[in-house]
Amino acid sequence: MAAAGSVKAALQVAEVLETIVSCCVGPEGRQVLCTKPTGEVLLSRDGGRLLEALHLEHPLARMMVACVSSHLRKTGDGAKTFIIFLCHLLRGLNAVTHKEKDSFVSKNIQTHGRHWKNCCQWKFISQALLTFQTQILDYVMDQHLSRHFLSIFSSSTKERTLCRSSLELLLEAYFCGRVGRNNHNFISQLMCDFFFKCMPCESEFEEVFELVDDCFVELNVGVTGLPVSDSRIIAGLVLHRDFSVYCPADGDIRIVLVTETIQPLFSTSGTEFILNSEAQFQTSQFWIMERTKAIMKHLQSQNIKLLLSSVKQPDLVVYYAGLNSISVVECLSSDEISLIQRITGLSPFMLPQASSQCEISNTALVKFCEPLILRSKRYVHLGLISTCPFIPHCLVLCGPVQGLVKQHEDALHGAFKMLRQLFKDLDLNYMTQVSDQNFISSPIYKNTTESSQLPEIVNGSIQRPYQGTIVKNKDELEKIQIYVKVYSNLVVPSVELETHGPCSTPKVTPTDTHQTDETLRCLSPKKTRVIDDHDPFIESNSTNSTRENSRIEISYENLQATKIAGNGDMLPVRYKSLEMGPSQNYCFSSIPAGCVLPVGGNFEILLHYYLLIYAKKCQQSEAAMVGMIIANALLGIPKILYKSKKGIHSFPQIYIRALHSLQTNQPMVSSQTGLESVSGKYQLLTSVLQCLTKILTIDLVINIKRQPQETYDLDSEEEL
Amino acid sequence: MSRLEAKKPSLCKSEPLTSERVRDTLSVLKGIVTSCYGPSGRLKQLHNGLGGCVSTTSHSSALLANLSVTHPILKILTTSVQNHVSCFSDCGLFTAILCCNLIEKVQRTGLIPTTVIKLNKHLLSLCTSYLKTEACGCRIPVDFSSTQILLCLVRSILTSKPACMLTRKEIDHISTLILTAFLLTIPENAEDHIVLGKSIIVPLKGQRVIDSTVLPGILIEMSEVQLMKILPIKKSDSLKVALFCASLSGDLSDTGEGTVVIGYGVSLENAVLDQLLNLGRQLVSDHVDLVMCQKVIHPSLKQFLSMHRIIAIDRVGVALMEPLSTVTGTQPIGSLGSISPSSYGSVKDLCTAKFGFKHFFHLIPNETTVCSLLLCNRNDTAWDELKLTCETALHVLQLTIKEPLVLLGGGCTETHLAAYIRHKTFNEPESLPKDDGYTQTELQLITEAFCSALESIAGSLEHDGGEILTDMKYGHVWSVQADSPSVVNWPDFLSRCGCGLCNSQEELNWSFLRSTQHPFAPQTCLPHGAVGSANNLTLDCFTAKLSGLQVAVETANLILDLSYVIEDKN
Repeated sequence: MAAAGSVKAALQVAEVLETIVSCCVGPEGRQVLCTKPTGEVLLSRDGGRLLEALHLEHPLARMMVACVSSHLRKTGDGAKTFIIFLCHLLRGLNAVTHKEKDSFVSKNIQTHGRHWKNCCQWKFISQALLTFQTQILDYVMDQHLSRHFLSIFSSSTKERTLCRSSLELLLEAYFCGRVGRNNHNFISQLMCDFFFKCMPCESEFEEVFELVDDCFVELNVGVTGLPVSDSRIIAGLVLHRDFSVYCPADGDIRIVLVTETIQPLFSTSGTEFILNSEAQFQTSQFWIMERTKAIMKHLQSQNIKLLLSSVKQPDLVVYYAGLNSISVVECLSSDEISLIQRITGLSPFMLPQASSQCEISNTALVKFCEPLILRSKRYVHLGLISTCPFIPHCLVLCGPVQGLVKQHEDALHGAFKMLRQLFKDLDLNYMTQVSDQNFISSPIYKNTTESSQLPEIVNGSIQRPYQGTIVKNKDELEKIQIYVKVYSNLVVPSVELETHGPCSTPKVTPTDTHQTDETLRCLSPKKTRVIDDHDPFIESNSTNSTRENSRIEISYENLQATKIAGNGDMLPVRYKSLEMGPSQNYCFSSIPAGCVLPVGGNFEILLHYYLLIYAKKCQQSEAAMVGMIIANALLGIPKILYKSKKGIHSFPQIYIRALHSLQTNQPMVSSQTGLESVSGKYQLLTSVLQCLTKILTIDLVINIKRQPQETYDLDSEEEL
Repeated sequence: MSRLEAKKPSLCKSEPLTSERVRDTLSVLKGIVTSCYGPSGRLKQLHNGLGGCVSTTSHSSALLANLSVTHPILKILTTSVQNHVSCFSDCGLFTAILCCNLIEKVQRTGLIPTTVIKLNKHLLSLCTSYLKTEACGCRIPVDFSSTQILLCLVRSILTSKPACMLTRKEIDHISTLILTAFLLTIPENAEDHIVLGKSIIVPLKGQRVIDSTVLPGILIEMSEVQLMKILPIKKSDSLKVALFCASLSGDLSDTGEGTVVIGYGVSLENAVLDQLLNLGRQLVSDHVDLVMCQKVIHPSLKQFLSMHRIIAIDRVGVALMEPLSTVTGTQPIGSLGSISPSSYGSVKDLCTAKFGFKHFFHLIPNETTVCSLLLCNRNDTAWDELKLTCETALHVLQLTIKEPLVLLGGGCTETHLAAYIRHKTFNEPESLPKDDGYTQTELQLITEAFCSALESIAGSLEHDGGEILTDMKYGHVWSVQADSPSVVNWPDFLSRCGCGLCNSQEELNWSFLRSTQHPFAPQTCLPHGAVGSANNLTLDCFTAKLSGLQVAVETANLILDLSYVIEDKN
């Protein structure tokens, strides 16, 4: 049996997934209860976990889930947004194909459609998507979006120090989407306290993130049956074991780590022990005993009070330890051992071969060592003295049921993963040549063809009978003139720009700046096209905004374009590294570590906005199309976030205000406090686009009814 | 190679709480827990169709552990209650009833979950902060100079478990025993860090409850034959004790990962036995009087020891090791070789005792915090319930030592709290923090639901068709017999409130609990000085109830917040 792998099928699947995940998105999201075949009950708002729990059968769905899991492995965040965005993209693509069949469509769309139909349809679009992802996205991020980035680091100092209040905002926004509505404040506060308690000084936070992320399981203790508000932080390390023997001690407490039994055994693996007489047996037993005794005595003489062992020690060892007032903790997991090693720099104690007179070097000091009782279960509580930039602390997570404790644990772990990701620079690279050519050529081209050939260039949009708009456009044109005047003042630094780029290719920046005159002149016809271009998209997008709204948007678009022209002159200063070749210009830039944006769809609206501008300027029709589709799909996320809001907090209002502030070059005002990571969003976008290209390249799904031959063929199964 | 099987897709249901089936099962569960509540609660007989004994209970932990709950939502509810009970032993039914009621009442308001959850949390914090203030009118500080309050607390717990089948006299006896046992576990010379000892409950089924008793030290059960073998002990001040955790059966210990080759004619058994006998000789020369072993003692060694008038007791079991070690002050010995003299301990005396048809070894310690509570009851199922109740009471006493407060029982705390919240939201709305997330109407709706959920707990104490009233001054609970005339002079029919603190001599106004309540500021019933003299109060554990309240509301919020249930069908 085979089924056509079309956008339509993928859309159906994605829509089903979207309905499930969209109920848990954002601060208003709700919980989902998952049961396991073992009878365990799990509460979750984690998109990845939900998709996993569904055990989907549909091949396309499984592919999507596999893509989500691979994205999650990389970043640890954004599964729900992934699905929503993918769904909107598919919807956009689907709408385009519908338009194509529909005779009553605008002409430029029709030409696009026909064009795509002639090419091998989806394959072609997927290639365009790939081009977009690899080239244009980075360009837009770096050139336009980067102006809006905020940083999590405090700006007062030169060194990178974490700003506590920004971190709090970031975490709060993160936990809003991860834990129950009542607990996110508490949990984010807990995490923030934990982090700042673990951090010895404000500049060495990265090691802390790394360590906590790696060893999170060992650094928390779950307690069920208590209210969540009883969760707390305890200083020191809590081992999930009880003492085999506990001897209270204070003052100087030294510890050693062993990974083998201290009592010598008759034979080790690979050897043979030959017993010839009973006396020999007795003497060897006696020797073993004496030896054990001697070692323990020796440990005591070295002032060692605690023995941490990764294996079970024989009764004899425990007995002699007790006699020498050494406490023993056995059966520590390898993870616990490695955590202790990381914190203290302690290496396992090797049993002295010959005599035990030598000094034991591998010891560490602890401040205290005592039993800790949590809900009538006993744990070992160690006050390790740290030698690395991490002050050991443990989280005690309480909750009425295991499922909730687990949810909080997962959310906290995810938050550390997210932060770790946030503090990495993310490289962006793109070829400026392509875009440069576009940007440079367009005004020049228009300059020459302004009067005669324009209608053809703009895909005949001028001929469209949009009387009303044209009338409006005239008004707009006047406004544009005003803005142009405003910006003509700003164009002054173009002289500086010349000095910045002394070589022959100063056009690494978005152009238009030093060609102000031409730009100005060509603005009016160009913008007319933009309006006509944009209009059908707004409709196809099926936004809930009214027609009136879209009109307003259009006028904003117009104005914005001029603004960009003016803004270009500020950009060159920001470039970090710029390599210029004689023929091609590769730009290597990055999203610096710690870049954040306010939550509530800010990133999406910004990118949407800049993509629209890009798409309008773009020459290649399919690239423009792809840009448009992506730009419109991006709005899907803020739409869901503001779904329940009314009045001035409803989505159309927010959107219009955002666009307004963008075009007047004012800072965007967000109704929500909270921050989110830019690099996380960027990575999400690229992952979704990659997933979409994968989906689009499939044309047939073939169902095989046979036992899978080899295990590793089912890698998607494992990811589930 | 493992067998590969395709996983079945999961079942995904949206808005689970709106489904009729879930509501029905929730109300069934609510019916079960509500009918068990309180001294006049109905008992449940649990029997497994596949075998095992039939048990009669009204204890939440016994009940919920045996109910097979299939729906995930109910599973969340029951595990949450069970977890609470394993932490605090008490107030399990309270938590379950409150959670069920809250879900039901809040659903009836028809508000969206976001608002409901926010408000529930808000009201909960109002409750907890009130309970934690000095001004709280439903809590009493515990005076440790007299046993009055502690005895009332224990008695209330015993009374609320009808499945123990105790008469009033028996209840008094058992409560005294429990309190004695608890007091025995408190170390005499208390330092800043007190470690409580342990009361070991020793079963003695089929005897009269009155025969139950408390003994200091440890009882070890023995067969009569074994006991006969033990010769009369030579009297001295104290007896020297050795306690082994290593096996003395003569088995070979771990020989390592390699191979051990034994030459022809070499008998390791003999070698080990020699070693054991050497050990015996050492014990004799160290003048040990009593040898106890967690595991098995080799018969030859036993024989050898008894020849030297040393008492040997083996197979003590791991559970008794820790109390034995503390009682005798020994260090469990893990070596068959030389024994350090410091590992020996001592007991004051050792005697044999017979209770009912069972024979015991009784270790009488010099000074210790371990005691044995010999618990008798007529039949197995009543004994099980009694044991559970005793454990609850002992745990509650421990909790009360940590937090020396008790709450009024008999439903008075719940109605008082409800009155307080109602008063706060209706009469003093300005004292509440402003939040734009809800309107005043929504707040009042949810307050009404929350309060009626609290009050219905007090209401569920009544199972015999009577009426529950509440007074308009203190907000306490009063109950009336079923057959009383409808319009009467209330003071004639009411004598004392649910907790026993107020009586009807005062001029009070009453209203039915089920009717609409008018907000009023509840007052504290009596000045605290008079509390000590009040006898026969019904009291509840403060810590357990506070946590139960929090857990119930948190669980209810969790369940109300569910938008999907994904059931894995594999």
